[in-house]
Amino acid sequence: MRSRYGRLVLAVAFVLVAALGAWQGRRVTRLREAEAFYRWMLAAAVDERLFQDTSSEYLDRELLETCNRLAAAAPETAQLEADQAAMPITALAKNLKNDEAIWSLVRGAALAPARGQFLDAARRGKLQFARSIGYLEAQEGNVGIFSLFFGFRKVAANWLWIQVDRYWHRGDLFRMVALMKTCVLLDPNFIEAYQIGAWHMAYNATAKMADTPWALREWDERYQACVGEKERYYYFAIDFLKDGIRKNPRNYKLYFDLGFAIYKQKMNDYANAVKYLSEAVRLPHDRWVPRQLYICMELNGQYEEAIRGWEEYQKRFPESELTKEVAPRFIRSNQGKLLEKQWEDALKKAEAARDTAEYPALKAEADRLFQQALDHWKAMGEDGDVRRMRLEALKLRGEKRWFEAVALLDKARWDAPDQWEDFSDLIIQIKQEGGIPLSLSERKAVERKKDEGRCKGMPEDASTRTS
Amino acid sequence: MKQIIGWVRGPWAIAVYTYREGIRKRTLIGFLILSLLVIFGSSFISAFLDPTSRTDIELKLIKDICVATISIFGALITVFTSASVVPNEIENKVIYSILTKPIRRWQYLLGKFLGAQLIIIVNLALMGILFFAALYIRQGILPTLLLWALLLTYFEFLILSAFTFAISTAATSPVLPTIGGLFVYITGNLTEYLKDVQNRAGQTGKWLDDMLGRIAGILYDVLPNLQNFSLRNQIVNGMPNDPPTDVMIPNLMAYGLIWAVGGFLLAWLIFWRKEL
Repeated sequence: MRSRYGRLVLAVAFVLVAALGAWQGRRVTRLREAEAFYRWMLAAAVDERLFQDTSSEYLDRELLETCNRLAAAAPETAQLEADQAAMPITALAKNLKNDEAIWSLVRGAALAPARGQFLDAARRGKLQFARSIGYLEAQEGNVGIFSLFFGFRKVAANWLWIQVDRYWHRGDLFRMVALMKTCVLLDPNFIEAYQIGAWHMAYNATAKMADTPWALREWDERYQACVGEKERYYYFAIDFLKDGIRKNPRNYKLYFDLGFAIYKQKMNDYANAVKYLSEAVRLPHDRWVPRQLYICMELNGQYEEAIRGWEEYQKRFPESELTKEVAPRFIRSNQGKLLEKQWEDALKKAEAARDTAEYPALKAEADRLFQQALDHWKAMGEDGDVRRMRLEALKLRGEKRWFEAVALLDKARWDAPDQWEDFSDLIIQIKQEGGIPLSLSERKAVERKKDEGRCKGMPEDASTRTS
Repeated sequence: MKQIIGWVRGPWAIAVYTYREGIRKRTLIGFLILSLLVIFGSSFISAFLDPTSRTDIELKLIKDICVATISIFGALITVFTSASVVPNEIENKVIYSILTKPIRRWQYLLGKFLGAQLIIIVNLALMGILFFAALYIRQGILPTLLLWALLLTYFEFLILSAFTFAISTAATSPVLPTIGGLFVYITGNLTEYLKDVQNRAGQTGKWLDDMLGRIAGILYDVLPNLQNFSLRNQIVNGMPNDPPTDVMIPNLMAYGLIWAVGGFLLAWLIFWRKEL
């Protein structure tokens, strides 16, 4: 009798514990759903803020709008300023420090309706940025990668990576690209795969290719740029890194590589370089990241911001050798360029007011700024020689002393190979102004420049990068 | 109080004895040595990579290989240990001399279960220490996050161990429970498929299709899902965009404990009046 009841009690206890296990399992599932929602939200927010690459066949943008609308009423977003309150998720996602607040939002009641829509859309495969989130992959069940490697997909990604390394040494670059993409499909957090993959595409795959002449380039609607075979690889690398950023929006390395290695080094697109390096410095980063940002700011003509950046760097790392030796040089260089810019602006203003009574005063102001810039470069000694020569050449140009100006610029360009092209362009301009015959290479350069910026299939109203 | 101490003393003595006996088993030692070799060998994985490229890939490879090794060999050790502690004693008739002592069957089972846990914990700790050392040598900082990952791995093994143990109480030899344990591990990791089946069901409009979907949904809710513990991979690699794990870890620990109690109750239910 005792035995029979004992068994019954045990069976009931087992059922109760199993029910408790199922209940706890549901709690864990809810948390995993919230985690997937959180990851998607960061990806969608970073895309919305930086790339706006959402395809219209997906619902990501629509759902993010819903999330923003619902979050606007949540207490977590009450402290946001008026301009951010309309798009609270997008605004919060900008700062790493707000991740706790976003995590709290995705689990809270305010976003519960959006959470339901998110899961439904993800299961139907309607979310572009939910594809790589492990939990959702399993829900969608299209490829089954989640289960294919039985939870050991990171190891599979690692072995593939070793194969990629082998192909690299064999020179099988084209086989590598497919494998690298498989690597990051298996392990979306494989940061080095994104970095090295992009490096292979932008640098190694294009190493033996010449820049495609503008006449042979074609307009690419997707990239909104004129691309040839070589340039296409740059955009492949950009796409690869952007994909990595969406999946790892809090890793500075990917922003850095996109800004520095691709946009600055390969495409000379300093505006975009500044854009992505600014994102990188917002996250925990290494010391060289802000330095590259300030250099790109200088190249992009943002001298005041670059000076402020270098001064901040000096305050942050007062004992660094770079602070003592390199930073002051960059600050002085930016100050000189800023004076030059102010002189050019003042000169333009004076030229515009040539026939008015204000002209003498404006011209005097421009001359004062010119002298100030010249004095600045002189005070810098050898470091300022090239810029000093440029300014003096411009002064000679103003005085119509063409040959002297050209000779000075020719000397300057040999002293500063990194500015060779700028100085050569200036020499051509001065020669044309002064009616001095151009050399053969200069005539070719002029012909080349005529085609620059236009390509086959390019819409009339479109603009493209000229690099 | 004395009665409580009496209840605990018996199972504890059995647990210690089970541990001493189990830790000497050649199969387990073999698994342990293999796993330690793989963990140790992962430090030399850089031999496969380009020596000129200085990246963090080596560290990532070590982490991923070690986590996978601990999961695979740890699961094997868990299954073999939990599957053999009771059937071995039935096979070699030791159980008769134990159960004739003033000890209840549940105390015997509890002692055996705790003994199996001691073996699993010691093996996991040995693998973890080597992994810890490999990371420390490479990074130069104490990889404290690894402890959380190991803790979660143990709670996954706890569920696996409890259900393998439950199967073993119905068997007279370790073969069937070992197969059963491996089956639990595989199906426990594939539970997510049931959700996929549920999501896809009902497309034909036929009642059977609909019913299959409902059954898959119920099974998904009821069966333990070992993939929930995949959080350990995330903890070990620690990406800055990971959501805070402070909520997940206690919930997963509770999940592991509840199912361990469930597995033990099932074992007790089976063993209650088992003819020996």
